[in-house]
Formats: sequence, C-alpha cells, structure tokens
Amino acid sequence: MQPGYSIGVIESKISLPRVQPGMLRRSRLLEIVDGGAGVAFTVVNAPVGYGKTTLLRLWCIERPEAVIWMTLDAADDDPVRLWAHLATAVERLGEGLGARALACLGVRGAPVETAVDELMNGLVAYGRPVAIVLDDLHAVGSERSLGSIAHAIERLPGNARVLASTRSEPAISVARLRARGALMEVRARELAFTVDEARELIVSEGIELSGESVALLVERTEGWPAGLYLAALWLRDLDDPDEGVRAFAGSARHVADYLTDEVLTALAPQTKDFLLCTSVLGRFTPELCDAVLGREDSAAVLAELARSNMFLVALDARAEWYRYHHLFGELLQLELGRENAPVLRRRAAAWCREHGLVEESIEYAAAAGDAETVAELLVENDREFVWGGRIEQFLGWVRWLPPELLLGHPSLPAAGAFAAGMLARPAVDVQQLLAIAEQARREWPQLWSPYDEAVVEVTRAALIEGGNVGAAVEHARRAVAAARAGADVLSVGVLASLAQALLFAGDLDEARRIALQAVERPDAPDVPDGYVVSLGLLALIDAEQGRTESAEAWAREAIRFARKRFQADLWTVSLAHLGLALACIATGRLDEAEREALRGERLRRSPQPTVGHAHALLVLAHVRVARSRLERAASDLERAQRLIAEFPDPGRLRAIAATVEQDLTTARENAGSGHVVEAPSAAELEVLQCLVTGLTRREIGAQLYISLNTVKTHTRELYRKLDATSRADAVARAEALGLLDLTESPG
Amino acid sequence: MSAPRYRLVIAGELGPRYASAFDGMTVRAHDGETEITGPIIDPSHLHGLLERVASLGLTLHSLTPLETENGESDPQPHTPTAWITDPNHSIHRNLEGS
Repeated sequence: MQPGYSIGVIESKISLPRVQPGMLRRSRLLEIVDGGAGVAFTVVNAPVGYGKTTLLRLWCIERPEAVIWMTLDAADDDPVRLWAHLATAVERLGEGLGARALACLGVRGAPVETAVDELMNGLVAYGRPVAIVLDDLHAVGSERSLGSIAHAIERLPGNARVLASTRSEPAISVARLRARGALMEVRARELAFTVDEARELIVSEGIELSGESVALLVERTEGWPAGLYLAALWLRDLDDPDEGVRAFAGSARHVADYLTDEVLTALAPQTKDFLLCTSVLGRFTPELCDAVLGREDSAAVLAELARSNMFLVALDARAEWYRYHHLFGELLQLELGRENAPVLRRRAAAWCREHGLVEESIEYAAAAGDAETVAELLVENDREFVWGGRIEQFLGWVRWLPPELLLGHPSLPAAGAFAAGMLARPAVDVQQLLAIAEQARREWPQLWSPYDEAVVEVTRAALIEGGNVGAAVEHARRAVAAARAGADVLSVGVLASLAQALLFAGDLDEARRIALQAVERPDAPDVPDGYVVSLGLLALIDAEQGRTESAEAWAREAIRFARKRFQADLWTVSLAHLGLALACIATGRLDEAEREALRGERLRRSPQPTVGHAHALLVLAHVRVARSRLERAASDLERAQRLIAEFPDPGRLRAIAATVEQDLTTARENAGSGHVVEAPSAAELEVLQCLVTGLTRREIGAQLYISLNTVKTHTRELYRKLDATSRADAVARAEALGLLDLTESPG
Repeated sequence: MSAPRYRLVIAGELGPRYASAFDGMTVRAHDGETEITGPIIDPSHLHGLLERVASLGLTLHSLTPLETENGESDPQPHTPTAWITDPNHSIHRNLEGS
C-alpha cells in the first residue's frame, strides 16, 4: 500500500450486531453449535428468514472467547477488501496480529493467500480460542474470494473456528472437510421452529393463543422463523388472535405476503412511510434516515422500532448503524414500489458522499442508475482505490459505466486499463479500456493529466512486452516523461518498466542508468514491485558485464527485500534470481547457479508467451551449458526459440539465443557423441520433471497448460525412450542419465 | 429472434406487490401456487431471477421452458438443464431442493 492511500474499513461490517429484543433464545440450536467445538468450519445453511444470523449472534454473546464478526456483501468479491476487513478485526484482538497481513494486502500482484497465511500466523500468535463468523457468505461469488476463504479454513489453527451463515451451499470444497470431520452443518430442518418453541415465542410476546392455534400456526408457516416472527408482530395487536390464525390457515396466500399485509396495515401511516422509504438503505444511521426522508426525528423513530420490531437490527453496540432483516427489507421495498426508490437512493448517495463514505455513496448512486455520480466519485477517489489495493472493486465499477460516460472522464479508462493490467486481465480487456482512454485523450485534451498519460503508457509498455520490445521502449519513455512532467508518484514504477524494456532491447548501459535512478530515489522502497525489478536488473546487468561482486550484492538485496515485502513468489524477483545465477557461474558455484536460474525461470512462467519468460529460459539454458547438462540446456533453448518465433520484435533475445546455441554446439562436440538413449523432446522433459513430483497426470497437465491426453502421449513416449515400465522406473532411469533438474531451493 | 419463454411455479399465492419483483414477467396466482411466465434472455437473467426468488423467501416448485407463441418450439432450443448442471453453481442446488 502506498503511504497516504488507503480505503478505510466499514465499521459496521466488522462489529458484532446486537440481538433484537423479542428474539427467542433457542437452546436446542445453541447446543448444536456448541457441539462443534473442535470442528474447523460450521455452516448454517438455510433460506432467508430461518434465523441464521440470530442464532450465530446469540451463540457469540454467550461465548467466553473472542469473536470476530464479519458481515459479507457483494463487494467482498474483491478478496483484498474481504481480507482487509478481517485482518483489521484480527489486529484489534491484539496489536500486531493482523499487521503483516494488512501490509501484504497492499502489495500489488501479491497472491491474497500469502496475506491469509500471515493472518493465520497472527491467530496462532494470539493463542487463545477465537471464533470467526462470516455472516451472509452467499453474498460472495468470486472464485478468488471463495478460494481464499477455503485456503484459510484449510490452514486454520486449532485455537480458531470459522462459522458461516449462507443461503446456498458455499462453493468451497466442503466435501474434503466433511470427509475428515472438520465440517458441521446446521440446516433448515434444524432451524425450523418446533411447536414448543413457537409456543415459547407466542407466550413471551404476551399473546394468548390456544394450543391448537399454535400448532396450526406452525403447520401453516412450516416452522419458518420469519413467518412466525411476522405472525407474532401481527397477533399481539389483535383482539382475537385465535380467529386471526384460523383465517390465516384458511388462506392460500403465500405466508410472507399474507403476514406482511397484516403487519403493514396495522402500522401508523407515518411509521409505515418511514419503514418503506428507509428500506432502500442497506445500512443506515438516524442522520442518514433524516437526510433521505427530509425529517429530523429518525433517531426517536428508530429507537422505538428497535424496541418493538424484531426486524430492525442494530449493527453495533452504540446503535449508530442499523439494517433491516434481509427478508423484511425486501418485502418493504416491494411495497415501496420501484418508481420511488431512485430518488431516495440519490439522496442517500449525496449524504454518504458528504460524509466521506465513498464505497456506500458509489453503491447507492449505481443502484439509482446515476452513472454520472458514480463516475465523479471514482474520479475523486481513483488513486485511493488503485494504490490502496482495491483494484478489483475499482475495475468492477469502471466496467459498469457506459463507454460514452468514460469518454467524458478520461482518467477513468486510463486508471481502469492500469488496473486491468495489474490484475493480469486478458490483453483484450486491457486493450478495450486503452482504446477508450486514447479516444478520451483526443477528445478532452484539457482533462488529460500527466498521471493519465503515465499510467496509459506504462500499461502499454507492459502489454507490448509480450512481443514488441522496440515499441515497449517507446511507450515506457513516454511514461517516464509524463511522470517527470507531473506524476512523481509513478516515477519508480515507470523507470523500472523502461529499464526492463531497454534490457530486452539490448541497451544495457542505459538500462543500468535508468534502473539506478529508480533505486536511488528515496521513495523507491515504497513501490515494492518497481524497486525489486530495478534491483534485479542491476544484478543481471552487472553480472553480464563482469561486475560479479556488485551483481551478487544487488541480487541478495532484491531477494531479501522481496521476501520482507511479500514478493518472494512474484515474477518481479525473477530477474534477481537470474542475475544471481550468472554471478554464481562466474565464481564457479554451478549447482547454486542452476537452482537460482531455475527459480528465476519458474517465476516468469505464464499462460501467455512473454519476452520475460523467453529471456529467463535463455539464461537457464546458458547456465546448464556451463554445468554440462546439455540435454536440458537444449530443451530450454528450444522452448525459448519457440517463444521468440512468435514475437514481432524480440530485441536482443535472438542474439542471446544464437550465442547459447553456439556454446551448446561447442560443448556437445567437446563431450563427443555420447547419447545412449534417444533424447526426449523438450516437451517430454517438462513432463518428466513433473513425474518426479508425484503429481497426477491431470495436475501435470494443469501445471504445464497442456491437455490430459498430451500428458499421456508424452508419458508413453518417455517410457519408450527410457525403456521404462513404470513411473518409478522412468524417474530412476532419468536420474541416472542426468536428465532431471535439481530440486528447487525453498523460497 | 425473441427470447425463449419460461414458466416458474412458486409455492403459495402471491399478491400484486410481487409484480414489481419480476419485471417484464406475468405473475398469476391460483390454486395455492403462483405462475411467473415471461422471456428469459440468457443464463445470467435466469440466475438473477432465481436469486430474487431466494431473497424473497419464496420456494420454487418448478421451472419449465415454454414453446414460442406460434406453436413451434424454439428453433435453437436452449436447454435449461445445460445452464444448471455446473455442480459449482448454486442454481443447481436451488433446483435440486425443489
């Protein structure tokens, strides 16, 4: 996270909601949840209105241990937003417990799982029992967020348990948890009211109802808790509740429809009006209600409702924020009617905007269909989102806006393209936003800032890095010029981008000069990716130019810094490993050289062919020639050449490839022709390497981006060439022939 | 080509206020059930509709593709099951439960 840029957490998402008066304490259910002590994951899974949240809240209140409560919503599809809230909550358990996870979340491109691991370490350090509640898990749909939650549950320390409420089966791999007894489920059949519980509720509400009527009520509602609470709300004001229940039972109307009618009809017109108008608000304070309704007494109305109506939920202990029970809110909105909602939402957006609640105001404006306000809010806050790590959330809103509107706000398509590039979205998505940015720049030159110019050009430089090195240099130069002209915050990143493009283009001296400029800037460590890339470039160039000691020092600094700043597994540190490999060759440490080169190459792999990966393969081939592992070197070279052939302008890579090829030929001649077996192809060698790991053939396919059938073909050929009959046999033969890679060094 | 039409059957008779929940569709209640009929343009439209059903606490009894107005079946039939057999998809479960 860049200093000064962050989007705050929404407090009411992580505060423990209060239990509304009138809610029945259902000991039968509390005991079920208690019985899950020692179970990692408890899922309360039932349709809306089954009392899932109430059950979890009651359970939490009675627990002696610490509770982390998180109410999920659709915006948590951005895993950074999701974990920023959870890490903040963990940090409040004890200072420092969530800090490393929060720092990690601010690193662009870092896998969110790394932050999750850090957070699990924080829970281990906490040591005491803790329950983590994920309320409304069904609101999250993105694979990345659900995957990160599954990752957390798999690694949950023994002192913690996770409890979730959801309306649908969570799309995380619960089957495995279930198999090892780490999953407990509470479903609708348990949550439904029994006749005894219904009687308890009716009595506690002071309603006089015959036993027969109670049974009838349970039968008619099928024990659906929302139905029973609605019924209680209605019956307590009736003179003859038994008669009411009989009429209800005799009707074919839907339970919620019938009861909502009864409840709303009985309300004072002013109260009804208040409920309907505020139903469009997801979360609200009395002040927000005042603003939306144009009145001044919302605090009193809410306080009264909170006492008498169990469908209003106080979200925090101070009763600043409220929400309606989801179902009740939906039913009120139906009654309000569609045509009345937009004007109320616009007022809510305006109030939130005035009060600095950026996310909420964008959501209200979007729900009101007010794209212009959404655009304005994004323009005002784009750097907070992009530099604060909420890239997915930002990109989602940009993509929601119609292209015509983006044209009038040039910084949005510019920042959107930058965001899409950072998230490694498919090139066509990035291109689409770049095209809109380009048009906006032409149509509104006066609105086009150096910052917009720099992010667009650096995004282009990164994109064209996939094949046109000369053009990448040009775009990166423009980005640097723009950053100098008035977007200093981008300097380190764009300098790193230019230095890398220059390296691939073959201008090593200038690349070194530019990389030095980047690392010597005082703000360089605040831009971890740009800093690590620049250090790696210096290592690589110094090694190539014979300054071995300095190369090793740059490389070690890059790797150390990367580890500290959660970049150890990112492509950015690849150059440092490659530089270190070359330095190791110069000092005769060949084993270490191969390990480093291999690590550098692995980090550069990607589904799309990139210049960076081709370059890494060439360095690896070079190292392997030096180590006399000629078959492996030939295969690396072949893969690099296949990639290079696809690039319109591969810069100096063709020349490096020619040198490696020459060295290889010479080495082969010196070694004499000693082939005892028919050499496996490059592709077969990749599969061979995976066979050692014990991966299944399907997993091998996934790792190498090839089909299962191709894996099978390669395996068959390998067995034939190695004269092997089993996997173990093939691995042993390959080992003896020196065809296998060394195992990678950890980290 | 007009979008294929579908019929959703919901448990219980729904009053007029629910019409606005299912914009562009016809809502008709009779015999203890409610029929919601109308065009569904693509899988995400269907998904949204089923989410509405769930968030209103309604129980889905069935979902059926209808023949087009002129009596012919859709020239490029959309098989609803093709949309909902992805085991990771929650719609699948909603239907399974019905």
